[in-house]
Amino acid sequence: MTEIWILVAANPAIDNLVSRGRELGGQLVAVVAGDRSCAEAIAASGVDRVVWLGEPGATPVEARAAAVADLVAEAAPRVVLAASHPAERVLAGALAGRLGAPALTMVSSVRLEADAVIVTHATFGGVAEETVRVEGPVVIVDECGSVGTGLPVPIEEVTATAPPTLTVVETRMSSTTRVDLGKARRVVAVGRGLARREDLALVEELARALDAEVACSRPLAEGLGWLSRDRYIGVTGQHVHPDLYVAVGISGQLQHVVGCRDAGTVVVVNCDAKAPYFGECDYGIVGDLAQVVPALTAALA
Amino acid sequence: MKIVVAFKWAANPQEATVAADGTVDVGRATLGISEYDPQAFDVGRRLADATGAELVGLSVGGPAATSSMARKAALSRGLDSLVTVTDPSLDDAAATRTGAVLAAAVAQIGDVDLVLTGDASVDLGVQLVPSVMAGLLGWPAVSQVTALSGTPGDLRIERNQEGGTQVLLASGPVVVSIAADAVEPRIPGMKDILGAGRKQTTELDYAALSVEPLVAYAVVGRARPELKARQGKVIDGADPAAAAAEVVAALRATHVL
Ligand SMILES: Cc1cc2nc3c(=O)[nH]c(=O)nc-3n(C[C@H](O)[C@H](O)[C@H](O)COP(=O)(O)OP(=O)(O)OC[C@H]3O[C@@H](n4cnc5c(N)ncnc54)[C@H](O)[C@@H]3O)c2cc1C
Ligand SMILES: Nc1ncnc2c1ncn2[C@@H]1O[C@H](COP(=O)(O)O)[C@@H](O)[C@H]1O
Repeated sequence: MTEIWILVAANPAIDNLVSRGRELGGQLVAVVAGDRSCAEAIAASGVDRVVWLGEPGATPVEARAAAVADLVAEAAPRVVLAASHPAERVLAGALAGRLGAPALTMVSSVRLEADAVIVTHATFGGVAEETVRVEGPVVIVDECGSVGTGLPVPIEEVTATAPPTLTVVETRMSSTTRVDLGKARRVVAVGRGLARREDLALVEELARALDAEVACSRPLAEGLGWLSRDRYIGVTGQHVHPDLYVAVGISGQLQHVVGCRDAGTVVVVNCDAKAPYFGECDYGIVGDLAQVVPALTAALA
Repeated sequence: MKIVVAFKWAANPQEATVAADGTVDVGRATLGISEYDPQAFDVGRRLADATGAELVGLSVGGPAATSSMARKAALSRGLDSLVTVTDPSLDDAAATRTGAVLAAAVAQIGDVDLVLTGDASVDLGVQLVPSVMAGLLGWPAVSQVTALSGTPGDLRIERNQEGGTQVLLASGPVVVSIAADAVEPRIPGMKDILGAGRKQTTELDYAALSVEPLVAYAVVGRARPELKARQGKVIDGADPAAAAAEVVAALRATHVL
């Protein structure tokens, strides 16, 4: 029977990968590099088997990439799935290197044929799409989804042997709530057009009036740090598929837009009539967000 | 003791043209050091200065990656020397191939205990090349790194992690991807640009690196991604209340609200 392996570093939200694996058919085996609680959550998320490397202790989970690669290489599955988080990418890349297998991202379809795996995925930052035929294993980095549910399966513990050359000496948590924008029905995203951090309140009020999640472009999360990193949308950020996406003060560069192209309806607010985003919207308002955003909130009341 | 900075000579896909049959043409796009790679140069220079290590640039790609423009752009960013591996077949190479060539090149350079990379390449942006390289070198990889101190081989690594930050100690060689917001990259001055001409570039022979053959795969189809048809109704917001009312009414009429 075909085996499909799922690589898990420490994030148990993999229901999207489980459904992808189910569509392909075969046995789903998850290998977990993170701690016991992660392995337990994975064991109850709809997979058929869980292989756990034991407590990582002070070893950062990515440092177990070689051990994970050993296990998976031995099982020789045709398809390996991993979520698009930083640590999972490290596992996926190390495995792809070990197998000499292609590692594909922004995947829209995966199909198994008798002697090949056929994958369609976006490339060049999303400007083009290609379909590849792989005669061997393929590593797929895909959207994670949420924590799934299923009948718990036993956890098979194996020991990771490699002596760690990396140790965690300090961990500081800043926010404990993890947002999952992937399932949000409405999203209000804000970009560099926001002059001051205080003005975020305007955007939050609009989001409240719409019952929407707040998101942003990359510079607002990285660099300015006005919103948490798991709230920025785009090629390296989150991918969202809401019914309504309101983009405020975002220019609409490719790397942002590819993260929300599936949105049902797109509303853009930008003071520059030439902003590229107006070319990809349903409704656009040319104006200063400081005035337009409160006006939208008021119009919804 | 050497610190390698792996960087990509690439074009922003925003400037690419995509034909109806899905073929991408970056012929008219401007090539440059991939947008988030200068951060790795700066972090590497500081660490090299603090530890007396040699800072070596490393770039893999098509022939353009070793053009005089590419060499100058890289060498003016604080490198001591540059190594390139170019071959027409490496133009647009996918992550596994690129990572494998980089790993072979790092082994060939020798005496390297730290490889720095950017966060994501501007063209492919798959965030996988560093870990492929690390996997093949048998080294760990750490991404989202904001600060480095200590010496290669005994390195203190600060990185962003979901929901917070973390400090790691590396007692062996490691591949480190620098976060895009780790430093504000310095713009090379006249002195840096003039000095670049005097620094050495070594071109490694791709064939001689004998990179392991990879799983066979072929592109069997290309397409321009189908974009959703959009209404494209852009209105003037000179009267914000009127504009807002119009958009909200339209959203209600189409049952989005
Ligand atoms: C490899 C790579 C990966 C990347 N990944 C991502 C990603 O995942 N997500 C992402 O978002 N970006 C990503 N980027 C960055 C991306 O290229 C853009 O730089 C970024 O999206 C721009 O953010 P912005 O639109 O908020 O800012 P800007 O481009 O600066 O746009 C700000 C906009 O606000 C408008 N504005 C200004 N003042 C006002 C006002 N008062 N009222 C209304 N409008 C106003 C301006 O007209 C302008 O259009 C990536 C880049 C690279 C190279
Ligand atoms: N062809 C290349 N040559 C050298 N370094 C590269 C190359 N491709 C990618 N890298 C490095 O790997 C990082 C991540 O690239 P990617 O995995 O393509 O998103 C880049 O920021 C570079 O530092």
